[in-house]
Amino acid sequence: MNDFIQLIIAGLATGSIYALAAVGFTLLWQTSQTINFAQGEFVMLPAFFALAGMKFFGLPFPIAAIAAILLSMLTLGVLFKTVVVDPLHKQGTLPLVISTIGLAILLREGVKEFYSAEAQRFPSFFPNINIGTSAANGGSGFNVSADQIGVLIVATATILLLSWFLASTKTGRQMQATAQNPTVARILGVNVERMVMYTFLINGALAAIASLLISPIYLAKFSSGETLGLVAFVAAIVGGFNQVRGAIVGGFLVGIIDNLVAAYISTSYRQAVPLALLVMIILLRPQGLLGRAEERAV
Amino acid sequence: MTTPDAILSLTEVVSGYGKMTILNGSTAHIRRGKITTVIGPNGAGKSTLFKTVFGLLPVRTGKISFDGRDTTNWSPRQMLDAGMCYVPQGRNIFSELSVRHNLELGGVALADQSGLPARIETMMQRFPILREKATAQASTLSGGQQKLLEVARGLLLEPRLMLIDEPSIGLSPLMVQDVFAILKGLRDNGVTILLIEQNAKMALQMSDYGLVLEQGQTRIEDTASNILADPRIAELFLGGGLKPLASAAQ
Repeated sequence: MNDFIQLIIAGLATGSIYALAAVGFTLLWQTSQTINFAQGEFVMLPAFFALAGMKFFGLPFPIAAIAAILLSMLTLGVLFKTVVVDPLHKQGTLPLVISTIGLAILLREGVKEFYSAEAQRFPSFFPNINIGTSAANGGSGFNVSADQIGVLIVATATILLLSWFLASTKTGRQMQATAQNPTVARILGVNVERMVMYTFLINGALAAIASLLISPIYLAKFSSGETLGLVAFVAAIVGGFNQVRGAIVGGFLVGIIDNLVAAYISTSYRQAVPLALLVMIILLRPQGLLGRAEERAV
Repeated sequence: MTTPDAILSLTEVVSGYGKMTILNGSTAHIRRGKITTVIGPNGAGKSTLFKTVFGLLPVRTGKISFDGRDTTNWSPRQMLDAGMCYVPQGRNIFSELSVRHNLELGGVALADQSGLPARIETMMQRFPILREKATAQASTLSGGQQKLLEVARGLLLEPRLMLIDEPSIGLSPLMVQDVFAILKGLRDNGVTILLIEQNAKMALQMSDYGLVLEQGQTRIEDTASNILADPRIAELFLGGGLKPLASAAQ
């Protein structure tokens, strides 16, 4: 039983990080019809911003982390929108999708070329201690690391803050209006362009936070975006592509199932889990767990 | 031709989507403080006219003036600031936001945001159902209530002219009467209404003026009662050929 609870907590911790990436993914889709297949690389890159800040500029870790978040908002937010999305947007969804796949390769190979192909150790914000008692010392055997709890708290707080912003501020509601119906939002005088830019900034920040949380656990590696991107995509689909809260549920769900399968079935099936989940959802409930059916004129 | 009491004038306006021309040199004068209904067959350019006037489609050639100013190719935001609002066809509420927040979004363009709560309050006084359902998700409203919410949202900026496209679609006959009564009430308070209505006869009966569009051009501009009595119109809406009308205009 203790094992099970530990696995659930570990699953919630990784799931909360997946949720961050999936929420950003969903927001981009909603407000700008951008399906970002570079989302995994967006989560990979900020850790290297922080590492580069420490290595080349001698910044202390907290400063480097903040710089990484700001730099991510600039590059993965503003630059991504103005250089990649805006020029391609009028060509339709597909050219943009293909461009994001190209961007993913560029980011991956760029990091490999300019930083390192080796997995990098990444400092954690949280103390390296375990909560609970070891069974060997006569304790209950219940054991959870402070890292996991810390990750869960920070990621959940970030999601709650974002949800609060979207629901309870006028700007947040204008963003929701833009996502639900940009034409009507424009008719009412909403500055749709600005709202879309905010979404890209938010996605950049979410990706950076996810990066800083996940890299201490899985190390920072140029190729880590492959799995992360897939997981974010699956989490978004599972929850319902057009719902932020669906992406949150999807993220947590993939995280928990991921950990349970690794422990009870086999770690070699770990990679297959998100894909199996994706196939099941598409077969049984194509609109996602919380999504609503969407009609689109072709 | 100039009409001294026109609040909105179009002069030879050409516009459309992409390479397709829909509005093909339409000239019209909409009278201040009256209800004018735009009628015409499908594809005549009625909705295109609204989108062009409100700045959602570019004017290729021609001129639009609203309330004494040249507003050709102004943005929707500028049109809102100038005193016009637009209620498009279909369902245009934000279904996942509450009724109150939908209403609040009607005030985005308000220069002085501190006045917004008072305006929302006024609107809720006017349409008590919106107060009753203020915290409910807008998707829980009936079709008629949603239309009401859209109208109320448009009125939040106290516009002088409302463009309203097919408000009766999908509403019960009783609800249509309610919506029309609201429009008449607005007219009596000095708001100019420009209306597109599939149910042409019914709409003309409560209108002051009518505007007949065909193939992107103005065919007839007259009082609603004259248009109702016009035998060519009967032919048009009975599905008869458009040729008699077109040749009569030549």
